[in-house]
Amino acid sequence: MVKEKENSKFPPLVDGKSQYDLTSGKYLRVWQGPQHPGITGNMSLELTICGDEIIDCKTHVGYLHRGFEKLMERRKYIQCFPVVCRICVPEPDFNEYLFAACTEELAGIQIPERAEWIRTLNLEMARLTSFLMWIGGQAGSFGMGTIGQWTVTLRDYMLDLFEELTGGRIYHMYMLPGGVRADFPPGWINKLLDTLKTVEKTLDDVELAMMHNAVFKMRAKGLGIITPDMVDKYGITGPNARAAGVARDIRKDSPYLVYDKLDFEIVTGTKSDAYGRCEVRIKEMYQSIDLIRQIVEKMPKEGPFFTKLPNVLHWRIPAGHTYKRAECTRGEYGFYVQSDGSDKPRRTYVRGPSYTHAVALMEHLAIRTNIADTAGLMVSLHTYPPEIER
Amino acid sequence: MSLKDIIAPFSVWKRALEKPYTNRKPIETRPGADRYRGFHQNAIDQCIGCGTCEEICQNNAIDLVPLEGKTSSHGDSGLRPKIDYGRCCWCALCVDICPTGSLGMSNEYIWITTDPEDFRFIPGGESKPWDDRAEGYRRAEGYDLLEAERVEMPMLSFEESQKSFIEMVQGYSKEQAMEEADRCVACGICIATCPAHMDVPAYIEAIRNDDMGEGLKIVYNANPLPASCGRVCSHACEYVCAMKHKGEAISIRWLKRYIIDQIYLGDYKEILKSADESNGKKIAVIGSGPGGLSAAYYLRLLGYEITVFDANEKAGGMLRYGIPEYRLPYEQVDKDVEYIRQLGVTINQDLKIGVDRDFKSLYDEYDAIFFSTGLKDPYGLEIAGEDLPGVQSGLDILDEVTKGKTPDIGKSVVVVGGGNVAMDAARTSRRYGAEVTILYRRREVDMPADEEEIHESQGEGCKLVTQAIPLRVEKGDSTRLKLFFGMAEMVDQGEGQRPKPVLIEGSEEVIECDSVITAIGQEADYSFIPEEIGKNLVFNRGMVQINEFRQTGDSKIFAGGDIANRKRDAISAIADGHSAAKGIDIYLTNFKEK
Amino acid sequence: MTEFNELSRQFQISDLKEQRADLHFFHASKEHAVAVLTSLKEKYGYTHLVFFTVVDHLEKNEFHLTYMLHNYEKHHDMGVVVKIARENVQMESIHHLWPAAATYQQEIREMYGVEFPGSPGLYENFALEGWEDIPPMRRDFDTKEYSDKTYYPRPGRESHDPREYMKENLYPGEAETW
Ligand SMILES: Cc1cc2nc3c(=O)[nH]c(=O)nc-3n(C[C@H](O)[C@H](O)[C@H](O)COP(=O)(O)OP(=O)(O)OC[C@H]3O[C@@H](n4cnc5c(N)ncnc54)[C@H](O)[C@@H]3O)c2cc1C
Ligand code: SF4
Ligand code: SF4
Repeated sequence: MVKEKENSKFPPLVDGKSQYDLTSGKYLRVWQGPQHPGITGNMSLELTICGDEIIDCKTHVGYLHRGFEKLMERRKYIQCFPVVCRICVPEPDFNEYLFAACTEELAGIQIPERAEWIRTLNLEMARLTSFLMWIGGQAGSFGMGTIGQWTVTLRDYMLDLFEELTGGRIYHMYMLPGGVRADFPPGWINKLLDTLKTVEKTLDDVELAMMHNAVFKMRAKGLGIITPDMVDKYGITGPNARAAGVARDIRKDSPYLVYDKLDFEIVTGTKSDAYGRCEVRIKEMYQSIDLIRQIVEKMPKEGPFFTKLPNVLHWRIPAGHTYKRAECTRGEYGFYVQSDGSDKPRRTYVRGPSYTHAVALMEHLAIRTNIADTAGLMVSLHTYPPEIER
Repeated sequence: MSLKDIIAPFSVWKRALEKPYTNRKPIETRPGADRYRGFHQNAIDQCIGCGTCEEICQNNAIDLVPLEGKTSSHGDSGLRPKIDYGRCCWCALCVDICPTGSLGMSNEYIWITTDPEDFRFIPGGESKPWDDRAEGYRRAEGYDLLEAERVEMPMLSFEESQKSFIEMVQGYSKEQAMEEADRCVACGICIATCPAHMDVPAYIEAIRNDDMGEGLKIVYNANPLPASCGRVCSHACEYVCAMKHKGEAISIRWLKRYIIDQIYLGDYKEILKSADESNGKKIAVIGSGPGGLSAAYYLRLLGYEITVFDANEKAGGMLRYGIPEYRLPYEQVDKDVEYIRQLGVTINQDLKIGVDRDFKSLYDEYDAIFFSTGLKDPYGLEIAGEDLPGVQSGLDILDEVTKGKTPDIGKSVVVVGGGNVAMDAARTSRRYGAEVTILYRRREVDMPADEEEIHESQGEGCKLVTQAIPLRVEKGDSTRLKLFFGMAEMVDQGEGQRPKPVLIEGSEEVIECDSVITAIGQEADYSFIPEEIGKNLVFNRGMVQINEFRQTGDSKIFAGGDIANRKRDAISAIADGHSAAKGIDIYLTNFKEK
Repeated sequence: MTEFNELSRQFQISDLKEQRADLHFFHASKEHAVAVLTSLKEKYGYTHLVFFTVVDHLEKNEFHLTYMLHNYEKHHDMGVVVKIARENVQMESIHHLWPAAATYQQEIREMYGVEFPGSPGLYENFALEGWEDIPPMRRDFDTKEYSDKTYYPRPGRESHDPREYMKENLYPGEAETW
């Protein structure tokens, strides 16, 4: 938050909230979104401004509410599998993985080792792909559209790989209860490794053009500072927290799949402002590239990738409930699944990291920022609305 | 802020010299990846219209619709999936589950038309440019949502089985039955083929739900002899099972048996429908085989007073006197019969119509008659030496065994025939320690006996000689008899005809044996029907002619079972009995009074 | 489980269940729930509110409020389930423990109709706008019915059940009907 000026023209803050009278004529209420290029996805910010500074911010979601959690109540477990990926458009794989993992845990199914490796590979690819898209937004929101175009192209190359592996570019529908749906196509691994090289090379350029760019630095540094003590209050996870020096990474802390067999360190920063968060994310992109290479290197070269399930048309899962989490690009992604012993889940709850980041946190951080920076701030929290309202 | 921060960004100007990512115009259509989940393809002749794809589609995108040129037939509903692309989410679960493997997806994703209706079509049924595309999503090797193999049935080993009449098939345990029941996709294609149209998916579901009472009810709705059928039914249903296209059919017959085996006869009463109040009308049923018992059961439920007459000492017909005990233990026939008796059906045994009581008196005394008297006169071989001692019919031997006598077969036996009676006679002879050779006129693939019967008879040590035609029987030297036979060659009879075995001139071989057992078929004996009534009945090649309600030329007389249908198995007799019960009920309530 | 044992001396909690070594669930009474959560947060290091949601058990006329807390030191999750009756449901707010909880409570009020007196923004719309029906995540809200009446299914669709269709075509006679 910007330092309090003396004799401030801004209304006083109580508990982080501005006290103002809208009818006084000193303030203006404007809407940013839901159709606005500076908003990540379909949501909107209801901003009250004083001059060009924000004194109050209210987030609005619901433009994307599809009621997936409710829809799943009427679907058999296998029928939920094509539904869940849609909960988060740019990074659908975490939904697939977590739904499958919860179902497997409740049903007592162990998937083959190779499937675990393939899933890990898939998740790291998803992270990289999603970060590439984020750069597009981050660069774009500070007027550096060219950089965005480079990385969005790279994302497309990643999507090509997904398409070849899974049969779909966006909704992969690849990780399902029992394992994964298919093995690697011939020659695919080499293509993946080649693409990684291209990504790496462009990332070097991004570092030069964005992270070492005086304009970017001036605008991003000091914007939307998250202090370590805010982390638990607001339920902040992922790079947003790590940039503040909070070394938490689910892949390391509660390793799932094969993360305990991989060699990596938690990336942390020293200050979680827009710039610091970018730094962490870019390091994590290099990390993902490295992890993918490790996986390709270490994974068993052959073996089954799917465990036979009971007939999915009649599959009933013993009553019980569980929660599983994974580290996606934005932080903690989690699925809570409760079975009542029938063939359909009683409750599936999806915890998307943006739920806390884009609502309570954003409303808090926006205050006293310049309206021109709102977009950059929002993107720097890396939020995806579809996972908020589900 | 350092100087670097001002200069560094310019370094990426080098990219200006690199190959751009952008596509040049004109933009070429980029084909989807090899596995792309694009528009569906369906091998329309391979698809059986089972609707499993419709069942799994979470978007309700699939309808099963009739398609020009496709008709319902056994094992094919004649329907085909029509996909609404306004709903499809391209998940390909339909492709994954399709039991026939007919459904796939092409890699085509670009297709434009202005009429939204065009986006609802029958893949493979309405021609599309991508129909023959090799690329596209297919279920991968190593990933399968259905289980192709059945749960193995515990059986006595051949070594054990040929030593005694202990039931060979031991039955599923609960876990095995549930696992097998789980394989069913519940499409219901089999129902049309089952002569009794039993609701197979429903009772299999009852097994999955571990609800045996419900299972028993469903079974009895269409079959009052399930303990027997669960063991020996000819299981036509299994030949059309959708899962057979993928691997092995669901073990429908043995799952039915599983249900019956779980419930004591004493508990049936509480579970099943009881008979209606008596309506005072009386029906005579001649023959207590499956046909007769089935008619008796369903008529009794409707409130009729039923008297069954049977020439044998015990009820069950060929189930008891034909089928040997190692396939169908007598106490299982008893279980079926007893329940029908408990329902209030009177069964008079040892009473042969035409001998102990005449048909005419029944005709006059009862409101209607149903007869299902079966085929009991075996065909002869029509060769020289046929009347020598030692030449006997398979039916006689099986009958004797049921009656507790030891058949006089000696040490070596030749069974002539290729049907189930031949297999039963052969395997029964093995159980009396004889060396058995089976002679059959055609090839093994032509044998009318069940595949498993052929397999099991060989497993138990019966020798099979095919394309062998008996020529004459003579008295033997060291053995009782000598059977001379010639070899046959199969002569093509043109399209649609089965090839005919023709004796190879001059070929002649001989087997020395103590018995020649004939099992080449049997025919009916209608002598119990007096001329004055019989003249109204129509017979065609030994069979009574009936209408769909199993009514004969005399409106008061109904008939069914082996004498009236060509299938000649227990379940068809049961279906006949059931239809006749309906027919009799309609006849007596609607027509007779008028 | 130490936390549970210690807490159970003070509070009405029960039904401890180990789902995994790093995930336990237990039930807490409505009255003691917030105190239990406070203790878990302040005393036992469960500082992270992972999520807060509701599971509707319509048949039992119960809502199961489910709070998931995480301890970053032990990397352990604690799911606290609070069963409350479905009518006129009110629950104490926990926004004072975690500001982010206000969002969860706002959403739960909208989707299930549970009230959290004092929770900021409780009555503001979350995902819905102008909603007049019953809270839509309740199990007695029928999504299928809602979608049938709200959207217009394209006419002209008709499906056939293979078994019925085969019956019509292969054995339509009354004699075969049972
Ligand atoms: C050896 C053998 C094995 C078989 N194996 C199988 C098998 O595995 N699966 C299968 O589905 N089918 C099998 N069948 C066929 C099956 O047994 C018959 O299709 C079925 O029993 C026919 O029933 P039905 O009611 O027509 O007559 P039947 O079962 O033949 O019963 C006729 C009854 O009528 C009685 N009867 C006849 N005339 C008179 C009269 N004048 N007065 C009083 N009573 C009379 C007889 O005593 C007999 O009890 C087999 C048959 C045989 C012979
Ligand atoms: S599942 Fe396959 S065989 Fe059955 S109707 Fe669908 S496409 Fe045809
Ligand atoms: S691809 Fe999926 S959504 Fe489309 S028809 Fe098949 S099962 Fe239905």
